Amino acid sequence: MQFRLKYFIIIIASINIGCKQVYSPPVISSPSSYLVVEGVINSGSGATIINLSYTVNLASKVSLTPVSNAMVSVQSEQNATYPLTAIGNGKYYTSNLNLNSSQKYRLVIIAPNNKNYYSDYVPVLNSPPIDSVYYNFANNNMVISSVTHDPTNTVQYYRWDYNETWIIHSNYFSYFKTNGDTVLARNLINDNVYQCWTSDTSTTILLNSTSKLKQAILTNNIITAIPQNSEKLSHRYSILINQYALTGDAYNFWTNLKTNTEKLGSIFDAQPTQLHGNIHSLADPTEPVIGYVSVGGVATKRVFIDNQQLPNFVFYRGIVGCVIDTFLYRYTPPGGKVVVNQVDEYINYNKGALYPGYTPLLPFELPGGPILGYSASTPNCSDCTLRGTNVQPAFWK
Amino acid sequence: MRKRAYIISFYFLLLYQVVLAQQNNAVLISVNFQQTKVAQFVSELEAKSNYHFFYDPVKMDSLMVTLQVENKPIEFILEMAFKNTDYHFAISNQFIFLTKGRQIKTELPPGFAEIQKNNQLEKQANIVSDYTEEKDKKVLEATTENKIYEIGLKTNPIKPGNAILSGYVRNIKTGEAVVGASIYVASTKNGVATDQFGYFAISLPRGRHTLIIRALGMRDTRRQILFYADGKINIELTEQVNSLKEVKISADKVANVRSVELGVTRLDIKNIKQIPTAFGEADVLKVVLTLPGVTSVGEATTGFNVRGGAADENLILLDGATIYNPAHFFGFFAAFNPDLVKDIELYKSSIPEKFGGRLSSVLDITNREGNKKNFTGSAGIGLLTSRFNIEGPIIKDKTSFIFGARTTYSDWLLSALPEAYKHSSATFNDFNLDLSHQINDKNNIYLSSYLSNDQFRLNSDTTYAYSNRSIALKWKHNFNNKLYSVVTGGIDRYQYDISSKADPLTAYDLAFNINQTNFKADFNYYLTNKHTINFGLSSILYKINPGSFEPSGNQSLILSQIISPEQALESALYLGDKFDISPNFTLSAGIRYNIYNYLGAQTVDNYAPNLPKSQVNVLDSTTYKGGQIINTFAAPDIRISARYILGENLSIKAGYNTLHQYIHLLSNTTSISPTDVYKLSDPNIKPESSDQISMGIFKNAASNTIEMSVEIYYKRLNNYLDYKSGAVLLLNQHIERDVINTEGKAYGAEFLLKKTAGKLNGWLSYTYSRTLLRQNDPNAGELINGGSYYPANFDKPHSFNFTGNYKFTHRYSVSVDVAYSTGRPITLPIAKYEYGGSERVFYSDRNEYRIPDYFRSDFSLNIEGNHRVHQRTHNSWTIGVYNLTGRQNAYSTFFTEQSGVISGYKLSIFAAPIPFINYNIRF
Repeated sequence: MQFRLKYFIIIIASINIGCKQVYSPPVISSPSSYLVVEGVINSGSGATIINLSYTVNLASKVSLTPVSNAMVSVQSEQNATYPLTAIGNGKYYTSNLNLNSSQKYRLVIIAPNNKNYYSDYVPVLNSPPIDSVYYNFANNNMVISSVTHDPTNTVQYYRWDYNETWIIHSNYFSYFKTNGDTVLARNLINDNVYQCWTSDTSTTILLNSTSKLKQAILTNNIITAIPQNSEKLSHRYSILINQYALTGDAYNFWTNLKTNTEKLGSIFDAQPTQLHGNIHSLADPTEPVIGYVSVGGVATKRVFIDNQQLPNFVFYRGIVGCVIDTFLYRYTPPGGKVVVNQVDEYINYNKGALYPGYTPLLPFELPGGPILGYSASTPNCSDCTLRGTNVQPAFWK
Repeated sequence: MRKRAYIISFYFLLLYQVVLAQQNNAVLISVNFQQTKVAQFVSELEAKSNYHFFYDPVKMDSLMVTLQVENKPIEFILEMAFKNTDYHFAISNQFIFLTKGRQIKTELPPGFAEIQKNNQLEKQANIVSDYTEEKDKKVLEATTENKIYEIGLKTNPIKPGNAILSGYVRNIKTGEAVVGASIYVASTKNGVATDQFGYFAISLPRGRHTLIIRALGMRDTRRQILFYADGKINIELTEQVNSLKEVKISADKVANVRSVELGVTRLDIKNIKQIPTAFGEADVLKVVLTLPGVTSVGEATTGFNVRGGAADENLILLDGATIYNPAHFFGFFAAFNPDLVKDIELYKSSIPEKFGGRLSSVLDITNREGNKKNFTGSAGIGLLTSRFNIEGPIIKDKTSFIFGARTTYSDWLLSALPEAYKHSSATFNDFNLDLSHQINDKNNIYLSSYLSNDQFRLNSDTTYAYSNRSIALKWKHNFNNKLYSVVTGGIDRYQYDISSKADPLTAYDLAFNINQTNFKADFNYYLTNKHTINFGLSSILYKINPGSFEPSGNQSLILSQIISPEQALESALYLGDKFDISPNFTLSAGIRYNIYNYLGAQTVDNYAPNLPKSQVNVLDSTTYKGGQIINTFAAPDIRISARYILGENLSIKAGYNTLHQYIHLLSNTTSISPTDVYKLSDPNIKPESSDQISMGIFKNAASNTIEMSVEIYYKRLNNYLDYKSGAVLLLNQHIERDVINTEGKAYGAEFLLKKTAGKLNGWLSYTYSRTLLRQNDPNAGELINGGSYYPANFDKPHSFNFTGNYKFTHRYSVSVDVAYSTGRPITLPIAKYEYGGSERVFYSDRNEYRIPDYFRSDFSLNIEGNHRVHQRTHNSWTIGVYNLTGRQNAYSTFFTEQSGVISGYKLSIFAAPIPFINYNIRF
């Protein structure tokens, strides 16, 4: 019996019992599209950017429809109005608002279809500064966390977003380039494709609260976790963290949004709830408008992390699958009689190579002799401008 | 009716008929009969004379009369009609008796008058001694079928009229009470079923009777009695040792048609054990889900929904103790040891008056009593759990104990789960210890105790633990044959604890517990053979600690947060009568009056009337001292059901009942989760109430081996709790601000077809049901779906179940279980947008769409060991496959953002065929 039991245990252990699968519901089309308002009114001197868009159908290829011809302004309870300027792609911009912290403000939107939308009047809530940002390692990740405290004890709810920038290197250094017809030496100052900068923004909603703590201090608020073999950590990495103070109401909105779209999928999950923002249509108060507008000063902090500072196990293996080939001007295949120009065939995209062609790296020459051809690799392995920019960002140091 | 004379009537007549002379009535009659049957013959003569006829229509049905006479007395007509036949007549006063084979003498034999006198004297003496004498008399232990047992003080002749026969039906081997055994008296065609103690009482005409006793898993037997006066008889039944497993639902084969209740199902553990379950261990709650009218939200939950009720609206009783969390291991197992459970009874509609406090159903689980004669035990080994039980006498035939234990070694299974659950761990165990003691014939006491523990970690550093604990003492006292009482006192506790210790700065302990102290006195009074009266009272004192959130360790910065404890007293008085108006028409009516007191110490916020309960609308708050009554809700529950028998095997039943519930489970997850909290009704949270009307047609066919029923119901729900969007339910001091009262309606039709005997047996059920809720009071806060009706989470309109068992031989049988239901409602995303750096979705109205339909089929093979009765151990194997087709049933679907892109996912719990094996041993 013992034996038989074991046998069955082995069978069952080899089967995955639960499972999570991709699921596409029957095509659902929303009866109409709803206005989406995103942004924080920066009460200080920094930039205020409000994004306006309409929702799209779930099956749609685009993720949003920007609203470009709206009129957007910030209005105080005393009727002072600060208009925002459209800067394209549904973004509306202003800066240096320097609002009065003792007053309440609201956002006024006149949509292109002449519908008026107003946010509730919102108090100005300034974020305390970010005290420090630190990292440690856990579960093969580098975890970046922040520390904040509020000496005035007025802020209990926080939200963060961030912008990360990091240096990437190509696998190979390219000294040459092609103009399509011929291979030229590369300008290594302005046209270096070995080192670039790339960046990304946060995609998850980061929230935390001190309301359940004895002191208004957040010591280990996790911002992000980066796998320790990520390219982000291969050379030099920088993160700019924006910290926003929230009212309880705003915190609930963001929590709901997060719960609805990020936290689902375990057995004991809450069901989706309906979102209630603080923006309303004047004509039809029941019309859903997505978004919550807050007013306040934003605390920011940028840190740099250099690979040199990190332990040895933080190691990036480079792009997988890269090889170097050599292409000759005159190549005779084994046993063949016809001479082939491999440089034209693989590198010069106007002369036969598939655009953009291989990226030439180094010349192939006999000592003192003419250039017979080039070593080359595919662009993803040797041209970092495909994944970032080779212009150093202004803040970089 | 009037003309149906049974032999019995002759006795009455012989005894009371003192007027002996045959009166010659001079009425002359003219008749003309041509091949006339007895019924017409009699009715014509009755119409033309003032005589009444008495005869047995069965015996007289071959009589054909052809006769033509003019102006003759009735004696002449009868003489002519019965001339040269085996039929006879007798005339006494205005009564005419027709008989076949023998003639009735309407005169008493000489000297009878003296005997009669003596008898009457004796009768008077007996009337006084009826109850006193039987007190000291030893109760008859009737063990053989062929002996005639004499009951009551012997009289000669037997006195007319009815007397009450009572007694216990027990298992001859274990001495355990047999519940639901039917005692059927062939001569009077009435019957009774034993109660939870194996006790019965029935009113019978004095005289000779044959009792036919039938019970589940027991050999049918009969007892012959000569019934002189009120008395007792104890009947011991033999188990069907070689009994093939049969899927029988009801103890009484005729109960389907004859019982007055609607929507009541009893299942014996033997039935439960043959239904294939995911891990091979018999599961009490999974079986309940195969019954019509019962649904669940998914596989990983043992919370079940009865006729549109939420999972917390079921009162789950284990030997009278309230079990708050009936599940182990995220709901994969029921928290009841299948080796101890004797039977379960689910009340969906006709809820007896003695139960109350929940809206939808009562699931009454009864454990076995320990064996009073021998030490026995059993053990079971499964893939995930093992169990063991032992029982035996402490004092032979008087006192016994039964102990059961169960534990799991499930961590290996968790490592087979997908990555998200791989690093989890789970343990559980449960223990039962029950004692029963017979003090004397009239007094029995029962002590039952239960403890269950669960602890698990789901891929994180957070540990969840929960536990059910209860102890109850029951005293049964028989006052006399007609009246008995059961007095119960007990304490039930449910608690959970969540802790996280990974980060010393945020290490915490979160604890919740609910304690209830019960007292109950139930009386059963067998007034006459037409009235059985139940009455009693019950009281429950609830004490809830709704949550304490405390730092763990010195370094922790967690602010200690303790929600103030709650107290309430729920009391009830009830009275019910089962009234047999006629042999075909029975009415059961009762009232239960509930009184609920919310008690201090407590601070209660007073909100402005007709405004949403929110912080801004708080007028002030009142603080009450400990024990002070804060507010009282009182309301009657009405319970009525009636049965009318239309034919031998056909009856219709109807019922109406109302219920109130004062304790609410707060949960906005789809399944019952271990972090849900209970809340008592208070001035700001009204009690939930419901009323239900139901009707059904019940039919038996093929000698009661096929049972069919159709039931329909309509139910209204009031103050059903739903939640505002984004409600915080845990550690919320002002829970009333996050909940909303909704109203609901549920209706449906349930079809059931059962085959209770034969090689193939089982049941087939189909249910159409809807449950709709509505929140249309703008003053209560947000409107859900604009104030229109929306389906509840567990609204599954179509549900089909088949459970069958086929016996190949005495040792091998196969069970198959097939379930289909409509997918449950879900709120789906209908549009997408970008927000917070990621694509996000906009959700539809609440529960506007449904997940894919559910289908599952299971199979198991039961192999019994050899059937020799006398051997040291009996063993059996169960081998099977759960979810044979491997259908990936959606437990839930959800849309979540990963790397900035919204994708839809479907979560399946048992997404592949799961083989299982179980080995059981009995000693």
